[in-house]
Amino acid sequence: MQNENFNEQEKLNAVPPAAEGEQKEQGAAVVFDGVTFSYEEDAAPALKDFFLSVSKGEFLAVIGHNGSGKSTLARLINGLLLPDKGRVKVFGMDTLEGKNPVEIRKRAGIVFQNPDNQMVASIIEDDVAFGPENLGVEREEIGKRIDWALKAVGMEAYRTGTPSRLSGGQKQRIAIAGVLAIKPDILILDESTAMLDPRGRREVMDVVTRLNREEGMTVILITHFMEEALLADRTIVLNRGEMVMQGTPAEIFLHSERLEAYNLSLPRIGRICKNLQAAGIPVADCLTPEQLAAEVAQEGEKAGAAHRSLPYIPAPVEQNGHEWDIDVKDLTFTYSAKSPFAQRALRGIDLHIDEGEFFGIIGHTGSGKSTLVQHLNALIKLPQAEKKYRPKKVKKGEPAPVLPQIHVGQFDLSDKKCDFVKLRESVGMVFQYPEYQLFAETVFADVAFGLKNFRKGITAEETEVAVRDALEIVGLSYEEVKDKSPFDLSGGQKRRVAIAGVIVTRPHILILDEPAAGLDPLGKQEIMELLHKLHREWCRTVIVVSHDMDEIADNCTRAAVISRGEAVLCAPPRELFKREEELSSLGLDIPITAKACARLKELGYEVDTDFTCEDFSEKVISLFKGGEDA
Amino acid sequence: MLNDVTFGQYYPAKSFVHSMDPRTKLLALIAFIVAIFLADTFYGMFLCLAVLIAAVIAARVPFGSVLRSVKGIIVILVITSVLNLFFHGGEHLLTPESWVIKIYRESVVFTVFLLLRLFLLVMASAILTLTTTPVRLTDGIESLLTPLKWIKFPVHELALIMSIALRFIPTLIDETNRIIAAQKARGADFESGNIFKRIKAVVPILIPLLISALRRAEELGDAMDARCYSGSKNRTKYKKLTFGWRDLVGALVFAALIAGVVLFNVYAADIWPEIYEYIIIT
Repeated sequence: MQNENFNEQEKLNAVPPAAEGEQKEQGAAVVFDGVTFSYEEDAAPALKDFFLSVSKGEFLAVIGHNGSGKSTLARLINGLLLPDKGRVKVFGMDTLEGKNPVEIRKRAGIVFQNPDNQMVASIIEDDVAFGPENLGVEREEIGKRIDWALKAVGMEAYRTGTPSRLSGGQKQRIAIAGVLAIKPDILILDESTAMLDPRGRREVMDVVTRLNREEGMTVILITHFMEEALLADRTIVLNRGEMVMQGTPAEIFLHSERLEAYNLSLPRIGRICKNLQAAGIPVADCLTPEQLAAEVAQEGEKAGAAHRSLPYIPAPVEQNGHEWDIDVKDLTFTYSAKSPFAQRALRGIDLHIDEGEFFGIIGHTGSGKSTLVQHLNALIKLPQAEKKYRPKKVKKGEPAPVLPQIHVGQFDLSDKKCDFVKLRESVGMVFQYPEYQLFAETVFADVAFGLKNFRKGITAEETEVAVRDALEIVGLSYEEVKDKSPFDLSGGQKRRVAIAGVIVTRPHILILDEPAAGLDPLGKQEIMELLHKLHREWCRTVIVVSHDMDEIADNCTRAAVISRGEAVLCAPPRELFKREEELSSLGLDIPITAKACARLKELGYEVDTDFTCEDFSEKVISLFKGGEDA
Repeated sequence: MLNDVTFGQYYPAKSFVHSMDPRTKLLALIAFIVAIFLADTFYGMFLCLAVLIAAVIAARVPFGSVLRSVKGIIVILVITSVLNLFFHGGEHLLTPESWVIKIYRESVVFTVFLLLRLFLLVMASAILTLTTTPVRLTDGIESLLTPLKWIKFPVHELALIMSIALRFIPTLIDETNRIIAAQKARGADFESGNIFKRIKAVVPILIPLLISALRRAEELGDAMDARCYSGSKNRTKYKKLTFGWRDLVGALVFAALIAGVVLFNVYAADIWPEIYEYIIIT
């Protein structure tokens, strides 16, 4: 056992030398031969002396922190970028012999991150036809290819529809079809699932795995998600433009310490395994919750562990003034009402959020969760609060129509006279991808924007203090960034500046729509840590819209599930995630801790936990220390 | 703020006019415009009106939505008719001699004609846009412009630009709404203040929107490159427009319309001589 581990370690350390690459070159789909590439002459290279050989039919996953060179890798393969040094060969064709980039692009298609920015035409079949049209394919053959490509991604029913009404996952499948219609041998996915919700991600991954298994397509998958990388035959890890690990996904993800060294956070499951091992429970490293449950059960058998964990004791609830409670009643909302395009977004939502909560709102894209939160700071006003509103006359004998009501603290949002500006100052809202709303010349001006809007006549000194505090709490150095252009910052920094621009007025309630979307695992973790810090020191209530169940389980005191505009469930994660069947019928997942608990229960072990990684580990450890029986 | 912009006015339905070739419809519109400006008798005008009504019926679009299209030019209509009524001049004075404002019979007839022409023009264009998706329209325009390739006019590129613009309008409207909401949440006020304040207030929307559009353009460029785009050379086209029997019927109707209008112009005097001078513009 020890010896085997040692061998694995060796293998991981050894990055294949050039000679080995040469031998493989014959049957290889893609070969990188000592490639170096930098975007600007003096800048650090995005890819450094890089060797890689991908064989035909292989499924390769590429992981690495943001800026590690993953996307550069994808673009070098099909000649969108050309190497400064070394060679990239696709089926023996050198991308530097730039006579015919089309020949290479015909063999290697890329699907990018944002499905919206890859579509050329407003009608799906026209969009899929774009590639073959460029290649001068005959009309009839194009028709056949459209049939085939749409069928391969399961979208044949939408052929003559428009993409604007589709979900993210469906759009991305269309983008894949557009690439498939070129009939490539290699499919490269450059973080193609990063902007999708879990259901969309599953849809896309199902398509990709099937293409690899059944059509024998070579797949190069660039991703941040461990579950996706686990599907691959081989995984490589990039760090600062260099390949630092390679092996089967299992080999990679079991080397938790090294992942952390490369700015990749440890997957949750790995964290739990480590906790258990630290407590002296010799479970092997696991990749799936089922595996973990089996391991725990097996070790439990050996050690004669108890079958019930210590009971979960809820942390003492901080007594709050209920001064900033949120109360939503009968909230119904329709987009473009009274037009042929009317779309019901919310129906009869009742919701109460206490002051001091870290509240989660869960739902698919298009479930209405964003519409719901936009009501809370009156970005969407209740009909009664509109200037034009006149109450309808109610005929005798008919019941009066039920009007939606929202109260936030002392604000009554159904009242026309409500001070909406004051309300927005108290209820901060961070939208999805908030960095896209930065506009000012300096970071200072951008952060101060909200402050100056809300507090007319604020002095320069007060502004400076407030901006300094806001930038510092989000973890940026005031002196360092205040005079920089926000557009010169890195992605993660931009997001922090954007958040600072919202919290600078010290709102009592902070709402964030997918605050961690598009970040790498470490970035996600840091953002969640930031939110906890804000919750402790800065804002009374934090509301997070998310579709990451692990994130909800680890962080929230309570969460509501929104589905098709209705609040279906609302409970603390501890109760919510026990209802696996209900959630999966809504197409939602449960966190891995909940999966492991369910499996453990089948194996005869009851673990009473709130599903956070820490509590779960603790409770499993308590099994081995005698559990409730002790 | 931009929620009310339902882009384009396409009215989805299955009808004779909907399934006509967009090129026929474009040419028919041109023919119709020629006809209404050729017509200088009320007989011809009524013939045009009859064809328009027939087209609305064949298109199965509500009359209301066709009429509503006139709303946009109502101010222009009022101003031009007032100006024409008072200043056109003529021989047969209708108002008493002593009045400062003088209205002649000729100016009334002329104004009525002008109004009719503008109404018909706008409504006919409305039928085209109501029954043709922007995409089909672009295809039609591209196809009609094809002869210009002879003089090296970049028809294909122009069509691609139009189609990409159409594709991104809804996306950019969404984006604009999102940015507006985000800046509103930061206390931005777009609804009050004088014109200069309002223009200044637009900066926090415009800059992010511009940056986003540039970013999208760059990504789209990469995506098009990756899908082997290399200009119009050797390119095939999947969608081909084809003329059908409906287009033949349409062409005949509009040819007949022009012929009818011309005939009325020539023989109007013989039809009902007593009213002849009231039904023509001189």
